[in-house]
Amino acid sequence: MPALAPGRWVAVALFGIVALVPAGVRDAYLLDSVILILLWGALSAAWNVAGGYAGQVSLGHAAFFGIGAYSAALMTARFQQSPWLGLMLGVALSIVAGGVIGYLSNRLRGPYFALSTIAFSQVLLIVASRWRGFTAGSEGIPVPFRPGFWTLGLGHVAWVYLALGVAVLYYGVAIWLETSRVGYQLAGVREDEDAAEALGIASRRLKVYAVTLSAAMTSVVGTFWAQYVGFVDPFYVFSIDLSVRFALNTIIGGIGTGLGPFLGSLLITSLETYLRATFSGMKTGFAGIYLVIYGTALILVVRFVPEGLTGLAARLRVRSSRAHA
Amino acid sequence: MLTLERVTKRFGGLTAVRDVSLEVREGDLLGIIGPNGAGKTTLFNVISGYYRPDAGRVLLAGRDVGGEPPHVICRLGLTRTFQIVKPFGNLSVLDNVMIGALTHLPRVAAARDEARRVIDTCGLGPYAAARARALPVGLRKRLEVARALATRPRLLLLDEVMAGLNPTELGGIVALIRRLHAEGLTLIVIEHIMAAMMRLARRIVVLHHGETIAEGRPDEITRDPRVIDAYLGEEFVLAEA
Repeated sequence: MPALAPGRWVAVALFGIVALVPAGVRDAYLLDSVILILLWGALSAAWNVAGGYAGQVSLGHAAFFGIGAYSAALMTARFQQSPWLGLMLGVALSIVAGGVIGYLSNRLRGPYFALSTIAFSQVLLIVASRWRGFTAGSEGIPVPFRPGFWTLGLGHVAWVYLALGVAVLYYGVAIWLETSRVGYQLAGVREDEDAAEALGIASRRLKVYAVTLSAAMTSVVGTFWAQYVGFVDPFYVFSIDLSVRFALNTIIGGIGTGLGPFLGSLLITSLETYLRATFSGMKTGFAGIYLVIYGTALILVVRFVPEGLTGLAARLRVRSSRAHA
Repeated sequence: MLTLERVTKRFGGLTAVRDVSLEVREGDLLGIIGPNGAGKTTLFNVISGYYRPDAGRVLLAGRDVGGEPPHVICRLGLTRTFQIVKPFGNLSVLDNVMIGALTHLPRVAAARDEARRVIDTCGLGPYAAARARALPVGLRKRLEVARALATRPRLLLLDEVMAGLNPTELGGIVALIRRLHAEGLTLIVIEHIMAAMMRLARRIVVLHHGETIAEGRPDEITRDPRVIDAYLGEEFVLAEA
């Protein structure tokens, strides 16, 4: 697909700029924003593997995020082990859970699949918030900070590079899905399962693989997020809000594209941060006003640019090339 | 090459296909005709693995494939097109066909080259970059054939690829089917358009209410009183006379 080439350059430029940020910026607040944009972008990219490339729209991906977050938090806080071990445990558990969700995707279509994923994440929320003896229940778990790479006790600059590494890796997964045999076959399955079967593609198995990969990728970032933020709250990490956010970032940015999730994360995370700072209750006397503006902005984007930012870019490019012709 | 032994498929109380037996040899061009609801597409769905037969056996090159999923049957050399076309709508024509070629050519570049060749064979060359969704129906039917051919089948099932085409498109697709057959492909063709079927098929099976009521050369079929009764009607006979 030659139309994607400009997008690759944009990605190289964006990730390149991020790599240079720590050289010039020492402001912890700004570095924090960069880290969160990258982590949210990576989470959305993970969601995009199932929701975009495989066409399986999940609204329960917080389940895998929470699994990753809890595995590492419990591993460090309760067993004094490395969060990297927690990361691996989270991936293993998410592969199992992702396999179950993937299996469901072969039984349930569209809205029914999405509903079942919500139910799945809610079940985990109940387990995490009620199993007080092990998870500390609704109080949540503070993650101990122990400096070092093995313990993931890192400074802001190191976190920028770690988050950037994950983001670039996940962007690479998207490019692989757009250029490889498996990726093309998955596109066929997404477009029409029956037709894909007739062409020799084991469509059900491929869908399960894609959803499982997406789950494992989400879990990894869940672990990093918990270690970075330093606290795991069941009502946050398993929330529907979070699941919707992965989907929303991706849809706003451009579903089924490599760059879309990152552009969506950049736009939404910065918009939210800016609005919260500018229109906070203290300044306006109206506590929820930033949410009203935020919601309105989202509605406008979905109304006028339903194909997302990458689609908008493609549309403008076509228009300008016609104008030149 | 393909043998059906008393194949039966039921949906609840309805028997869509009953005790159908047939034999397709290498190089055959078999036509299947019958009125709407006769069980033609159901039979295709059983042969290509979309339905599991309730009774009877489907033997492909001697191997019982009844109940195997479609992708396994495709890899054994049998694939099909769909009466209601199923293009990968958001992908280009080239990508559509390439996904078929990837089944036997794991390298994307090789599959893309193969897809270009197949597209040219099927007269879709000028539309290679077009989105499949944007194609008019005549070309979508060709795309169905092209995509199936890209898997390099030895036996191809065509389900009403001529329905809804104008006379020019019809002539083109008949010529294409003839050429594929001449090159050694074995085909089973479901069609409603009798005139085209008469010119094309060597042997015709007539289905009615899920059962085979006649089998033979086209000229034998058109004279068979049961076929005239069930399907062709008297007008057809008069028109032929």
